[in-house]
Amino acid sequence: MTAAALLPSILASLPEIIVVTGACILLIAGQFVPKGQDAVLVWASVAIVLLAALATFTVSSGAQPAFAGMFVADPFSVFFKSLFYLAIVLTFLLSRKYADIEGIGGSEYYVLLLLALSGMMIMASATDLLSIYVGLELMVLCTYVLTGFLRREQRSNEAALKYVILGAVSTGIFLYGVSLVYGLTGTTQLDRMATAVTGGPPDPALLLAVVFIVAGLVFKIGAVPFHMWVPDVYEGAPTTITAFMSVGPKAAGFAVILRVFLNPLVAGSNVWIIVAVIAVVTMALGSFVALVQDNFKRLLAYSSIAHAGFAIFGIVAGGADGVASVMLYLLIYTFMNLGIFGAVIMMRNGNFSGEVIEDYAGFAKMHPGLALLMLLYLFSLAGIPPTAGFFAKFYVLVALVERGFVVLAVIAVLLSAVAAYFYIRIVMVMFMREPERAFEPALTPLVGITLAVTAAGTVGIGLFPAWFLRLAQQSAFGG
Amino acid sequence: MAFPLLSLIVFLPAAGAAVVMLLRSDDAVRWVALGVTVLDLAFAIVMLAGFDTGTSEMQFVEKHPWVPALGITFALGVDGISALFVFLTALLGAVSVLASWIAIDRKVKQFMVSLLAMQALMLGVFSALDLFLFYVCWEAMLIPMYLIIGVWGGDGRVYAAFKFFLYTLAGSLLFLIGIIVLYLQGGKTFDILTLMALDLPFDVQSWLFFAFLVAFAVKVPMVPLHTWLPDAHVQAPTAGSIILAGVLLKMGAYGFLRFSLPMLPEASVHYSTLMMALSVLAIVYGGLLALAQDDLKKLVAYSSISHMGFVTLGIFALNPLGLQGSILQMFNHGVTTGALFLFVGLIYERTHTRSIADYGGLMKVAPVYTGFLALFVLSSMALPGTNAFVGELLVLSGGFAANFALGAVAVLGALLGAAYLLGMYRKVALGPASVGARFKVRDVNGREMAAILPLAVFVFWVGLYPKPFLAIIDSSVTHLLQQVHDKGSGR
Repeated sequence: MTAAALLPSILASLPEIIVVTGACILLIAGQFVPKGQDAVLVWASVAIVLLAALATFTVSSGAQPAFAGMFVADPFSVFFKSLFYLAIVLTFLLSRKYADIEGIGGSEYYVLLLLALSGMMIMASATDLLSIYVGLELMVLCTYVLTGFLRREQRSNEAALKYVILGAVSTGIFLYGVSLVYGLTGTTQLDRMATAVTGGPPDPALLLAVVFIVAGLVFKIGAVPFHMWVPDVYEGAPTTITAFMSVGPKAAGFAVILRVFLNPLVAGSNVWIIVAVIAVVTMALGSFVALVQDNFKRLLAYSSIAHAGFAIFGIVAGGADGVASVMLYLLIYTFMNLGIFGAVIMMRNGNFSGEVIEDYAGFAKMHPGLALLMLLYLFSLAGIPPTAGFFAKFYVLVALVERGFVVLAVIAVLLSAVAAYFYIRIVMVMFMREPERAFEPALTPLVGITLAVTAAGTVGIGLFPAWFLRLAQQSAFGG
Repeated sequence: MAFPLLSLIVFLPAAGAAVVMLLRSDDAVRWVALGVTVLDLAFAIVMLAGFDTGTSEMQFVEKHPWVPALGITFALGVDGISALFVFLTALLGAVSVLASWIAIDRKVKQFMVSLLAMQALMLGVFSALDLFLFYVCWEAMLIPMYLIIGVWGGDGRVYAAFKFFLYTLAGSLLFLIGIIVLYLQGGKTFDILTLMALDLPFDVQSWLFFAFLVAFAVKVPMVPLHTWLPDAHVQAPTAGSIILAGVLLKMGAYGFLRFSLPMLPEASVHYSTLMMALSVLAIVYGGLLALAQDDLKKLVAYSSISHMGFVTLGIFALNPLGLQGSILQMFNHGVTTGALFLFVGLIYERTHTRSIADYGGLMKVAPVYTGFLALFVLSSMALPGTNAFVGELLVLSGGFAANFALGAVAVLGALLGAAYLLGMYRKVALGPASVGARFKVRDVNGREMAAILPLAVFVFWVGLYPKPFLAIIDSSVTHLLQQVHDKGSGR
């Protein structure tokens, strides 16, 4: 490959290059930041992300394939990258104070997050099973370490270990599927895979390969039956990392799944039946198990399983509307879930962990404004209008019914009624109990900004969904 | 572009809620909330004054694109059926602010915000001409109502709030799927008028009818989906009960009128006997339950189930008398039962008991109170000369015309009403003044009178001269029946 041929590829992947380079610089330069000056790290990380965002929106637009068809910077990937930027910037803002409280400051924390971001970005742009794999591994390796970042806490260590072992197994399964595909079609590129097998009934071995690939990917989004790691990891990881993992890497997983699934090879097979079963079981398990949780983080873990289930319904629907509905769902979920996690992170102060739901008793009496924000996020997660969470679900349902999956739509709404119970139970604890303690939420300006942004997204998209809907529809491909 | 009167009516309480949020003193909160609701009522009266009774078309129509990609518009408008409810909602809004003036003594600000938000959403439900907008308002009401019951309610409030929330949510989710199916059948539009013109195959109509039925029957409530109501009513604060009984219950019946009948005419005709039977069941069962209650609020709550049975009976009689009667009866029930809940609230503020056995001889200590109570009790049992008489008479005539046997049983319900209401009144108001000995009961004051009087006016006005009210609903009812019978019995 000559230098001239390389240039378009470099331009297309400029945001990734910026993030990786920035992370490396920060790793070295971060050693020279004196103790107590951690704010510099936050702002440097935010600056790197903003620079990458700038590159994303200006230089590398247009859908030209790069790196010999392994990578593409199309509107689809731009949508997901914007979502990742949003998630990671808000995570940085949330981390500043929390890192002090937990004593996990230091540049490694931010560097690992940035590297995870670059992995996610590669996943969103990857059009080849191997580049998907590279992005995936980059992302999960960073999150393994971040999960175990509370070095002195047993829970955190245990969570990291579980995550590594299960993650490695799922990656192995994924790779095995890839090898089967390569053996049968002679390529790992998504487009060429499709043309290699057009005509005739699909080879059963190929279906098997697809199932393996699906299994590997489903692990990353925490869907049943590969969800076992989610509650433990979410509970054990530092809460900021949990917040990040529940939106960023999950969205990246969905980006890959959408790309793989809308590939004609997969879309033509009957694999949607498996996906529909996964969606129903995932949502049911998440919703029902969350009913009995006392720990806020565990509850949100199961809630995120349930939400993943709902989003998978959009994949089952397929088509342009189905894809767009999943994308919109993930965007809205990013706002509302980071919002509720922001509130939980804010509660962590001094000896108070804020991890048990009962800890929030009477919170509304002491802090009516903050309680109102949490109410907003919770009702949005429950999918009650006029919040954004309702519109997210609504659009998925429209896509489902449009494709004739009325029964699935009915199952989805009934399960979301079950899920509503545990969200409004938290509202009940906050609003309808008497306070037992004084609350001192660590409401720094940075946390305040995060809550404001997420609240604005949760209400704003709910009331004026038109622009975001069009964005998702225009960024969705396939059809 | 005409003046957006309906938008003003709908958004005024929402804006009021935003203003209230910024206030600091509880008194300022109360006065602003009262000012907003009274102003809103004034606008609703302006709307009624400008209402053209000669047409069944939608009036004061406003239409703006909202989510064009999905065919969602922000469309408002009223016809004869909804105009009356917009007015009723505005009226009861002001009454409920007055009713909670001293009854709500903690978190006043949050309460008034919830109340005003509720008000805006209820008005939105009655004036929406877009199915999506309708559903958003319909469902969003769960949030403020959940808080009103759960935060400011009685001892069992948490349980009642959960039950209310989950019942209504589960009911309306199937409705949501129904809406989406309708949207796709209608060529991707949520426009209610377009959807009314659809001619759907019978099996689709049937499915949709039952999907809608669950949502509406929970709200009405129809037996056997009524069990949330006694809990919610009893535990809710007075204003919450007034709104629940006065407006929320009407939404279910309004749903039948606005969606089930015109959009699914064949199914409505086909299942009308079933619906009438369920209505009569509600009339009798609700009446019997009310007869057995010792708790004043529970008695009124069960009487609501019985009275709403008359409403649905009239709707599914599918003739002009029945429909007119049921719409009028919905209005009447809002006025009368709203008033009864207000009265229970007023006496509870003084004695802190709702048990009928604790009362007796109230007339001697609070003559004005018991006098007005008598008026609303008589109105509730449909004495000639009061509002409910007109409504019930029309409904029963319609019911007899449609199905003689069911009409006859419904009359029994009216008798039951007389039994439990008069029995309650006798035990509470008459007899030796035992209540005066134990509690210090003062009579109603000016603020309370201000809440009672407007309701009393409507008892007589509708009772003695119902013509203006019937005129408002008349053309729309005729049009609705035409829609049903043209399409419904054609095949």
